[in-house]
Order: sequence, then C-alpha cells, then structure tokens
Amino acid sequence: MADSTQWQRPLELPADAVTPQTTAQPPHQPARELPLEQTELTETDPAPEPPPSPRRRGGGHRLLLLLGALLGLAGAAELYRLISWSSAIHPLLGGGFTLLTSLLLLALGLEIRRGLSGSRQLRRVQALRRQAETLLQQASHGDSTPLLRQLEERYRDTALEQELRRAIAQLDSSYNDREIIHYLNRHALERADRAAQRCVQRYSVESGVLVALSPWASFDMLLVAWRNLRMIRELATLYGIAPGLLTQGKLLRQILYNLAFAGASEVAMDATSALLGSSLTAGLSARAGQGIGAGLFTARTGLTAIELCRPLPAPGQRKNLLQLIANGIVRRLTGRGGETEAEGNV
Amino acid sequence: MSIAKKLGGLIRQSGLSDWPEQLKQSLERGLEQRVRLAITGLSGSGKTVFISSLAAHLLQSDQGRSLPFFSPAAEGRIIATRDLSATAPNPFPLQRSLAGLRASPPHWPDSTDALTEIRLALRYRRKPGLGRALGEHSTLYLDLIDYPGEWLLDLPLLTLSFEQWCRQQQALFASPPRAQAAADWMASQRQIDWLAPAPEGQRQRLAAYYRSLLQQLREPPYNLSLLQPGRLLMPATLTGSPLLDLFPILQNWPQEPEKADPGSLFTQLQRGYHDYCEQVVRPFYQNHFRHFDRQIVLVDCLKTLNSGEACFNDMQRALTTLLHSFHYGRNSLLRRLFRPRIDRVLFAATKADHVTANQHHNLDLFLGLMVAAAQREIRFEQVDTRCLALSSVRATEAAQARLDGQHLSCLRGRRKDTGEAIALFPGEVPVELPRVEQWNSDRFRFVDFAPRPLPVGPLGPEHHIRLDQALEYLLGDLF
Repeated sequence: MADSTQWQRPLELPADAVTPQTTAQPPHQPARELPLEQTELTETDPAPEPPPSPRRRGGGHRLLLLLGALLGLAGAAELYRLISWSSAIHPLLGGGFTLLTSLLLLALGLEIRRGLSGSRQLRRVQALRRQAETLLQQASHGDSTPLLRQLEERYRDTALEQELRRAIAQLDSSYNDREIIHYLNRHALERADRAAQRCVQRYSVESGVLVALSPWASFDMLLVAWRNLRMIRELATLYGIAPGLLTQGKLLRQILYNLAFAGASEVAMDATSALLGSSLTAGLSARAGQGIGAGLFTARTGLTAIELCRPLPAPGQRKNLLQLIANGIVRRLTGRGGETEAEGNV
Repeated sequence: MSIAKKLGGLIRQSGLSDWPEQLKQSLERGLEQRVRLAITGLSGSGKTVFISSLAAHLLQSDQGRSLPFFSPAAEGRIIATRDLSATAPNPFPLQRSLAGLRASPPHWPDSTDALTEIRLALRYRRKPGLGRALGEHSTLYLDLIDYPGEWLLDLPLLTLSFEQWCRQQQALFASPPRAQAAADWMASQRQIDWLAPAPEGQRQRLAAYYRSLLQQLREPPYNLSLLQPGRLLMPATLTGSPLLDLFPILQNWPQEPEKADPGSLFTQLQRGYHDYCEQVVRPFYQNHFRHFDRQIVLVDCLKTLNSGEACFNDMQRALTTLLHSFHYGRNSLLRRLFRPRIDRVLFAATKADHVTANQHHNLDLFLGLMVAAAQREIRFEQVDTRCLALSSVRATEAAQARLDGQHLSCLRGRRKDTGEAIALFPGEVPVELPRVEQWNSDRFRFVDFAPRPLPVGPLGPEHHIRLDQALEYLLGDLF
C-alpha cells in the first residue's frame, strides 16, 4: 500500500535500545525524522525577505575607492618627504618622526582590525537574528539546534556567555522552535537587556536635559551627536560586539537607515509618547520641549541600536520605555527628583 | 405561614439571601480581581490533574522557576499565593491528589465523584505604568471548580423538553455503534405500551438496564462520550434516588401522548425528566456554571485516535452541544459587574506527554479539527480562542532510540495498568481526519502511562508541558 510509507508505524522498543535525552545538553540533537516534509514546506512558503540593506554602491563605490587610494598615496608620499626632510636636518629628528609615524600606523592598523572584527560580529549577529525570525514563523521542532550552537559559539568568552548557556541548558525537550526562541529571548539576555535599557534611559535623559539647558542652539546638535555616539558604543559593548570607530560608524548608518524607514505604526506610537511628553512640558518652556524631543530621539536611536545588536528579535517594550524617558526628563527639569524611580522601573 | 415559607424558598432559590456576599464578589470581579475559570472537560479528560497541577505550580509561583512562560511569575511579580479553599463548603482535595502523585509508585487521582472548589489568592506587584496609580500591590482571586465530567452533559438538557430529548436520543441510537450495542434494549422497548398503566417496578427495572447499557457504552471498545443523563453514570449522593429512574423512549413513540394514563410509563418518565432537570441539573447549573470569565476546555484527543471514528464523532458532538450551555461574548464594565460572560477560551489537548515532542504541533492541529465547529461559534461572538497541546503532569521522558542506523524520538515511561517500564514510539498524530480504513489500522498506539513521581520540593518546568502558556493565555492579561 502506498500509504504505509507516509507515516511511521508505532513501535515498542527494547529498553536497551534507548538512550535518555539529558536535558543538560541542547536537547534537540538529531530529532529529524520529518526533514523531508519540512524542507518542502519552507520551500513552498518562503519566509518574507528582510528589507534589503542599503546597497547603492557600484559607481560611487569605485569612485570612493579611487579617491581613497589617491589620498592614501598622497599621504604616504607626504610622510616619506617629511621623514627624509627631517633626517636630512638631523638623524635624531628623522628617527623621532619615523617612530611617530610607525606608532600612528600601528594604531591605525589596530583600529581597523578591531573595526573589521566588530563589523564581522555585527554581520553574524544579524544573520542569527534573521534565522531566529524565520524560526519564529514556523511550528517546527528541532530546527533550532544549529542556531543554538552558533549562539553559544558567538558568545563564548563574553559577558553574556554564562546566562546564555544557563538558559540553553534549561530549555525543555518539549519546546518547539518558536518556544525556544521566545524562551531565550526572555531569559538568555535578561541582564544585558536590563543594562542596555538603563543605559539608553540614562543617555536620553542626559541629552534631553543638556539640550534643554544649553544656551546656544547651534551647540545642541553636537551635544546630541556626542551623547548618541557614546551610547551606541556602550550598547555594542554590552551585547558583546567589539566597539570601534568602524563598528560605530556602521551601526550608526544602519540605525539612521532603520529610523528613516521605520514603520508608520512605530512612528505613530513614538509620536503619541512625544505628544504626551510635550503636553507635560507645555507649562515649562519651549527649550524643555526641545529637550524632550532630543531625549526621545536619543532613546529611539538607542532602542534601534539594541535591536541591531541583539542576536534575537527584540520583544516590544518600546512604548513603555519612551514614556518613562519622557517622564524622566520632565522630572529632572522640574527638579522633582523622580529620576531614581524612572530608572529603576524598567 | 405557607406564604412566608414559599417566599423564603423563592428568596433562597434566587440567591437573594446572600446578596452582601454577591455584591462583594461582583465588585471584585468588576475590578478584575476575581476570576472564575471554567474547567470544562468530559470524564477522563484530566480536569482533576489539571487543577492539582495548576494549584501546585501557582502556589510556588513566587519562586518564578516552574512557569517560565507565565509572565507575572517569570518577571518575579508574584509575591505569594494563598490557598483559600478551606473556607469553601466542599474544598478540593489538593493535598490528597498531590500526595498520590508524589507517592512511590505515584498514581493518578481517582475519578471525581463530587463537586469541589478551590480558591487561590495571588498577591502580585502591578506592572510599571499607569496601573501603579491604583497601588503597587494587588490580589487576584482565582476560583476553580472540579466536578465529574459526566454531569456536564446534563447541562444541554435544560433547554430540551422530554420529547425533544427523546427525539435526539432516537437519532443517536439509530446509528452505529449505539444501534448494535443497544439492539436488545430497543427490542425490549418495542414491546412496551407507553400509554397504558405500568406495573409496579417496571420503570426502575428498565432504568437499571439503561444504566448498565450506558456504562457499557462508556467503556472500551466503544468509549463514547455523549451519554445522557450523566448522573446515571456518576450518581454520587443521588445513589438509589428515584430521580435517576429515567431513560429516553427510543421505540414506539406514542401517537397521542395526551391520552396517556396518569400511571403510565410515559407520564412517569415525562414527570421524572422534568424533576431531574429542575431538581438536579438546574441547581448544578445555577450555582456553579453561570458567571464564568475564562474557560479552558480539556480534550483527550488520544483516546479518540485510539478508539476510532465513532468515538471521534461522538466526542465532537458532545463538546459542541455542551459548549452551548455557556455564555460567550465581550464584557463591558457593567456587564462584568453583573453578568459576566466568557471572553477567552482555550482548547487544550491534554496528555501531550503521551506523544513525542515533535508531534505536539500536530496534536494542536488535530484538536483544531475536533473543535472546529465549536470554535467557529465562539469566534462569532468575537471571543478569542486558541488550541494548545499541554500536559499538566508529565508522565514520560523524551528519549532517543537507534533503529536501523536511524535516530528515532520515543518516550519512556511506565504503563498505567501494569506499571511495567516501556519505551514507545507511539506513531504520528494525523493532521487531517484519517480515512475510514486508517482508523483501526496500526497507525498509532497511544498507551496510558502512569505519572512520574512529583518531587516534594519545588517543581520545575520539566514537570509539565505548556501549562505556563495556557496560564499566560488565560490569565496573563489580568496581572
């Protein structure tokens, strides 16, 4: 009968053919008796593609490369001329300049290396998140094992390792892939999430207050940019991504891209909290309103940075946090000293 | 004197006498502090185990370990839980059923033969936000009742007259497998003149016969569910009462029932049916089955898979009819105060531990097939529903077997009847209704397992399957 091949008959097994699954290890080793069906399913119903990252390179990219090469060559030639000129004056002066130059080059090389590793980590985190998002759409069982392994590998020897490993060990053998992702989302990054939210809150309240108090309007932008960059750097470190100028730049570009193309609902949600904030400050002053705006912008940047640095899709707590931040700024400005509560309540 | 007595009876009947208590309950409910969760399930679907496990986990939910998907517990917002059922007239025997599960060897609780209540008070911290304005701490009272599942099937009788009920039963008994099993019963009914005066004791004799027939239909190989009147199967305090001398007229329905002799079987049965509805079913319904806020419907899908299509159809019919006895709909504030309706329903396939973990999703889908009609009607009232496979107490361990060089997920546990340790690959749960020839093939073999012993100390997430998700769905929004 053709039917008999579609399903597996029930079996009673001799007790010695069985090895118990220990829950200490990832329990989903090779539970793969339905792989064929499942692969077909995902093929017929492909997961929605994530929005393509900005890729407008091509001609512009080549131009930049050429420009960079030109500048680099010019710089190298200038340095060479500087060293040869100084060593003609006095060998000691030449030596000093050579030393300085080589130190500079070394530092540059280190920074580039760190940046490269940072952006590689960022890419990996992105890949992990995409994988997790796909798993969230399915009701499959056992497909998350590679993801778990990659997660463990990625966060080995970082501050997140211990918590992640404990959460993975606590996973129950009956969870399907969606439940595994939900579980890890809630329990594996708890400490980092809490620290990150506190960090976002601190920086947003700070930049809000700074803008509200700063006497020069033109200075505001610089202030906000400075606080934002510091915050992004700190957030990246919290989530185990090597901070560096290159990483920071890359992250910033992605954040701005995400902010610019945020969904309408998100914008509306953020706007309501901004409105609420401004209604609170109506009695204060226009500067305070600007402060709130700057604070909320920082908060949004921070939350987007968290989303980008997390290896798992972030749970939605956005509105709550934005609200808290708006309230925190108002409290600081009106001197009601409620900041401890605002920071403790996340 | 008699008028005063009558008035007193009326007041008692309408429940006016305890209005201060009722008012307080209404207020608490209005503030969403008192939740009545309806635990609905046919007999053997696991209501008692569900309640015991739920209470045991909630009582230690302040430790936040065993319910990782129940957000108030996982976020550590539950301060403590107290069991208030000692004040109830019939407290739920929580300690007894837990002791049974902790004993060595552990055993499932005995089948329930009386109505019992349990009331839990959960003290929790509110979520940060506007709600905190009402105070940081709050208490949620959770009321659950446990009762024999057989009684549940009496609820639909309240809307039927004796004649309607008989017509319904006639249709049921006309089709297999009832028609074969009840052939003798039908033949004996054919001999009876319903309108003529009946000899003494005939009704009792026939009722006893009908009861044994119902018992036979409940057991394997039939495993039927839609067996009315339910008290015949589980009489409890009514054992031997003349109220239970009741059976439907399946054959020879009288042409002119109004000509019945006052002493005839027809009149006796009609009166008996009325008395049964008014004196047995209605108090049960009025006192315990109105005013629910949330509902969980427990369904034993594996039993139907094991016993075949007739059992499936019968259980489906039973569930659909009995869910008509509940009120569904959204609750406005006023409505919540005075006449709440069920605004969230979870259909749960119990015994999820009796299939391998990769079959849980299939079990969800299969349950969806069974309750599709009921779910549609409930959704029409704009009420949320969801299907979930769960297991209140886990009886098996997941294991791997190597067979012909292939890994096979299987289960290890002890048989319920013999206690013998077995390893079993129980087959795959179908996601669509199997065809007629597949029902009784050897496609699945679900064995009843004995429970694994529960620890005396703290429970963990490994002692249940998705109980926390069920809780989160049913109650998570109230914290």
